[in-house]
Amino acid sequence: MKKNMNLTTASAIGALALGAISATPTAADVDTERTIGLVVVSFYTSVYETKYMEECPRGLAIGNDEIWWKSLEPGIRDELTNGGEIEPVTGTRRAMSAKRGPGGEDVCAMPTIVQDPPHKTVQGDISFGMNLDGQTDGAATPKTCSHKNFTTPDGQTGIDNQMYRLLGCTFGWRDSGYVETNANGELIDTSQGVILIEVSDVDDKRNDDDVTVRMYRANDIFPKDAQGNVLPYASYRVHDIPGYGNAAKGRIVDGVLSTDPIEAFLPYYGNLAHSEIHLRDMRMELDLEASEDRAKGIIAGYRDVENFWSYFRKGGYLAVTGQFSCPSMYVAAHELADGYPDPETGECTALSSSYTIETIPAFIVRPEQDDLNTSEAPTEPSTMQLAARGE
Amino acid sequence: MIYLKNILRIGLLSTLAFTVSACGEDEPLTEGTEPQLRRLTEQQYRNSIRDVFGGNIIVAGRFDPLERIDGLLALGASSATITPAALERYEALARSIALQVVDEDNRKVLLSCTPAASNIRDDACAKTFVSSVGQFLFRRPLTDSEQSLYTNISGSGADALGDFYQGLAYGLTGMMVSPKFLYINETAVPADDGLHQLDGYSKASRLSFLLWNTTPDAVLLDAAATGDLDTKDGLKKQFTRMMRSPRVEHGVASFFEDMLEFERFEILEKDPVIYPAFILDVAEDAKEQTLRTLTQVLITDESDYRDIFTTRKTFISGALGPVYRVPIENPEGWMPYEFPESSPWAGIHTHLSFQALFSHPGKSSPTLRGQAVRESLLCQKIPEPPGDIDFSEFNDDANQINKTARQRLDVHNKEASCAGCHKLMDPIGLAMETFDGAGQLRTTENGASIDTSGELDGITYENAVGLGLALQQNASAPACLTNRLYAYGTGHTPARTERQWMGYLGEKFASAGYKLPELLQEMVLSDAFYRVVPPSLDTNTADAGITSAKETNL
Repeated sequence: MKKNMNLTTASAIGALALGAISATPTAADVDTERTIGLVVVSFYTSVYETKYMEECPRGLAIGNDEIWWKSLEPGIRDELTNGGEIEPVTGTRRAMSAKRGPGGEDVCAMPTIVQDPPHKTVQGDISFGMNLDGQTDGAATPKTCSHKNFTTPDGQTGIDNQMYRLLGCTFGWRDSGYVETNANGELIDTSQGVILIEVSDVDDKRNDDDVTVRMYRANDIFPKDAQGNVLPYASYRVHDIPGYGNAAKGRIVDGVLSTDPIEAFLPYYGNLAHSEIHLRDMRMELDLEASEDRAKGIIAGYRDVENFWSYFRKGGYLAVTGQFSCPSMYVAAHELADGYPDPETGECTALSSSYTIETIPAFIVRPEQDDLNTSEAPTEPSTMQLAARGE
Repeated sequence: MIYLKNILRIGLLSTLAFTVSACGEDEPLTEGTEPQLRRLTEQQYRNSIRDVFGGNIIVAGRFDPLERIDGLLALGASSATITPAALERYEALARSIALQVVDEDNRKVLLSCTPAASNIRDDACAKTFVSSVGQFLFRRPLTDSEQSLYTNISGSGADALGDFYQGLAYGLTGMMVSPKFLYINETAVPADDGLHQLDGYSKASRLSFLLWNTTPDAVLLDAAATGDLDTKDGLKKQFTRMMRSPRVEHGVASFFEDMLEFERFEILEKDPVIYPAFILDVAEDAKEQTLRTLTQVLITDESDYRDIFTTRKTFISGALGPVYRVPIENPEGWMPYEFPESSPWAGIHTHLSFQALFSHPGKSSPTLRGQAVRESLLCQKIPEPPGDIDFSEFNDDANQINKTARQRLDVHNKEASCAGCHKLMDPIGLAMETFDGAGQLRTTENGASIDTSGELDGITYENAVGLGLALQQNASAPACLTNRLYAYGTGHTPARTERQWMGYLGEKFASAGYKLPELLQEMVLSDAFYRVVPPSLDTNTADAGITSAKETNL
């Protein structure tokens, strides 16, 4: 076989659990024993929920469609619903409902063009996430604005997660909410926006104080089994995009991987919209032994507000399916931003964020360019073609 | 004719003891068998169309299955008939192909002439096309009457439809539903030694379908026409040329596809709840993995045939990567790969293809796997099981006492009527029990550890890799290949009168280091490979095609 393939083996989780039966490549220049390859198969905004929505005492966010519907004259309502015979917001009217600017502008693409009631945000004290700023009191620092900290369900204090505060009382992001449930389904169905995690320099897969972690976008689709589940130990080529693959120093303690902060770009696809997650001071905490074949954990960092909003600019219909007002949420996002103050205005531009992920073992490969040349050999002329040519 | 056949047999039986130097160094003289009338297999049909007209011609049709006889579908082809319903399907398929051949794009490259006008018949141009394509479809030049027949059909079609090319499609359809295309029709001619051999074109077909599994190309037909195939030098020249062609890999793969019963992949199903990872792509690629491995080891590397039971070299595709847990450079393609020494994969019998094919839909089967090794790889026939077997013990997967297949088979085999055959099969299959019914690795069955030790014809082993070493040393393995290959190439099971020849061929194979190309060369350069007796007149099966080309038109 060719000896020039660089790859990362999916060795840490399932293979270790199954003992010594996993095959390993024999290419001499491939460091197979010291790397762990993972592919993300589940990616959700970290949202802590209680049974009776105690974190949302003001209720859930008001939906875009509700605001739109209230704004309509009775005659128009009759026209749109065929005298009340059909649902007011469905199908083609989803997009229409977002176009309620003075001139019919899309209020998700232009969220400041109208003013809506204030967005309803999380008022609770508990959240998943990480302490990104190193503070426990939420006081402003040169890199952060004043904010209220959370405590994790298991008691860690100083948790920064303003993204949760923004989205935690919005239906689309809560358990079984449409926005992220649908996005995760599309991730699996379309294999777009697939995130790879490569852990290298691994000497001990349970305890190692010095490993290197990189994240990439995959260039290949998810292979699935007969039940639609993504198969572990598949190979994924790295899509080399500038900015991706920044190296983070990390460590593994009792099977839990954690990293130091880095700037990271992650692919994201959901609800028919491509976007990219830009996280500053991104760090990861991943339990590599969470189950036999899955690693689970969170990645957290400061997400640029405008980067976050780019998702909605492409999909105003999300305001309907997710039940929120774009103008309300946009205003709240800026108000809640707690990271990276603008040098001129002092207003923060990024939201502390946390994403809950699940991964399965994967092989991460970087074939040499020659290997990607999949052009087929010229077709041999048929016997009759040769005969017709007199050959 | 019967008289001549008996005279020949008597004469040959008295002379089988000595060899004839003209047949090679010391090739035993054989009596030969009757020329064969073999129905094209589906793959041969598809390959023929592809090679004659081009790979862009779509062959969208269903083919009747062949009966497996003496371990090969190729032998079933020698006695296969075409039912009226099947003929209708052949006709529809031929029509579909013919219309593609004459469409505006293809006619430009497949016809050497242009009609005077496209809306009327042009017999001269039609005849040029008919005679050219006919030789490749019938695998010999068309007779004058055949040329006239299909030219006239084309002309009548053009008259009726007002379109030269539509008419030509009718002529072409006629050729493709002729038994002269659908059957490989062999013709006997007298040989210099007073016996009979195949004529040059029949030799060309045997060579081409053995080595390439497709119709002879123009060069081979030319060699037949000039008599080159009646000389050792001419045969060797063609053999050498054909072995250098990429088509030989397809040819060899086709043989092993038949020998290993891989046609069963067409109907192979696994319970998706029990084996969710066994999807269609995996099944298709599992089959191809083994065939690629065989052609690499036997043709490209020219390794010892027996190495197929021990080789760790293989090919892995994107679909197979997760199953074998192997990284793939390009998940959309194939990659050569060598399993590490410590891995449980060594030899084609450990491949996913073999394990999955010879298992039940929801569980592994040591018996089916053992039977497959005995019958397909060692050519040892296992008797049919009696009809009153009680499988309840073996099928009791929830049995908490007998958790493993070995334990359940031990109980099953307490029946004397079962034990005799099972002891031939089970020790082989039990060595592969660390592969589940879909070919994936497992270390336990129902929580119990799996004992894979066993013994094959006096050689003990600890696991499937050890079984491979035992197979490698088993004399029946190369003998089986020799037998199957000769039967595949000639279309008949080696006759009793060919025993000495088969022994000789086996010895040659051994002395050549069990290299498949050497065996093929020995076979195709021999007289025995082409030796026939004229067809007897007391058979009623041959009138469809065992006549010389000059006798009939359809």
